[in-house]
Amino acid sequence: MNQARKDEDQQLVARTQAGDAAAFDQLVVKYTPRLYGLVYNMTSNHEDTNDLLQDVFSKAYKAIRGFRGKSSFYTWIHSIAVNMTLNFLKKRGRRFHLSLDDVDSSIQNDKEFLELTATSSPVREADLSELQRRLNEAMMKLSDEHRAVVTMFHIQGMPHAEISKILRVSEGTVRSRLFYANRQLQNYLDEFRKNPVA
Amino acid sequence: MDEFDDNEIAKLLRLKRYEQPPPAYFDNFLHEFHRRQRDELLRQPLWRICLERTHDFMFRLNVPSLTSYPAAIAAVLICAAVISLRIYQEPEIARVAVRSRPALSATTNAEGEWTLASPVATRVFTTRSLRNSSESARTHRAAAPPRYVLDSVPVSYEPTFKF
Repeated sequence: MNQARKDEDQQLVARTQAGDAAAFDQLVVKYTPRLYGLVYNMTSNHEDTNDLLQDVFSKAYKAIRGFRGKSSFYTWIHSIAVNMTLNFLKKRGRRFHLSLDDVDSSIQNDKEFLELTATSSPVREADLSELQRRLNEAMMKLSDEHRAVVTMFHIQGMPHAEISKILRVSEGTVRSRLFYANRQLQNYLDEFRKNPVA
Repeated sequence: MDEFDDNEIAKLLRLKRYEQPPPAYFDNFLHEFHRRQRDELLRQPLWRICLERTHDFMFRLNVPSLTSYPAAIAAVLICAAVISLRIYQEPEIARVAVRSRPALSATTNAEGEWTLASPVATRVFTTRSLRNSSESARTHRAAAPPRYVLDSVPVSYEPTFKF
């Protein structure tokens, strides 16, 4: 983890604890995009993500006085977000509808996107946007805990150790959940490739 | 037939980073956060606002560090309790004495030395002497034969016996 970012966060946290609300605003601005990605990919719904993020920062603001810095602020705020989202998903159950955000136009310059669409692969055979839609559906078929791990590892690019701290499980559990989730996703997408109209 | 491998799934998942909310969303998020905080504050009952303010005040004074001396605080509280109990109990005796005195004097003033209203057993004696020493001296000077006082009633006041 970037040490400069950690130090900056510590200073902002200390200022917030001393009563400087503007310092917390800086933390909100800094972490909103990242936490949005995390919560959104777990819920697949923009409105739910927005409400959850507001609640996450509200809870963090109330609890920040009790934050003693045993973990980094990054880990702390991510664990609040993940736990609140998991609780929300348990209450919501299977009653949800996908409300997917638009894909940012900068994807056209992404190296992996170019590779996937240009090289000979199963992806090229299917329309990529349709494949993405299927992938989202497949993600929602995973259990909440498995989806959380996939989101943090594959989409957010977090290392296993960081995920294990956030979820408070062992690294072995993280790897095991990832392995199982990958198999599940692979099965769903293979099925789609075999029956594209299904 | 080709199949998706882990690497390709990972690449597909990474592309999900590009799913973004409308551009103005992040700009408005902080304003929305402030608005919700204000609304939440207005919805709270007064007692909770007071409690939070007190909590903030205590936190700034670093009062929790003082609670690291619980024995001292407990000792002070026990001492205070014992002292206050003693103070509370002592005036109770004094009050009884004060109350009983006017009863005596009232009886004396209104009824004289005897009260017929009360039974003999509750006869009340005045604590004040009926005649002081100077009066007594004057009497002795004026009247030649000395008179003797028995109990608290002068003998001369007793009705004379007639045989």
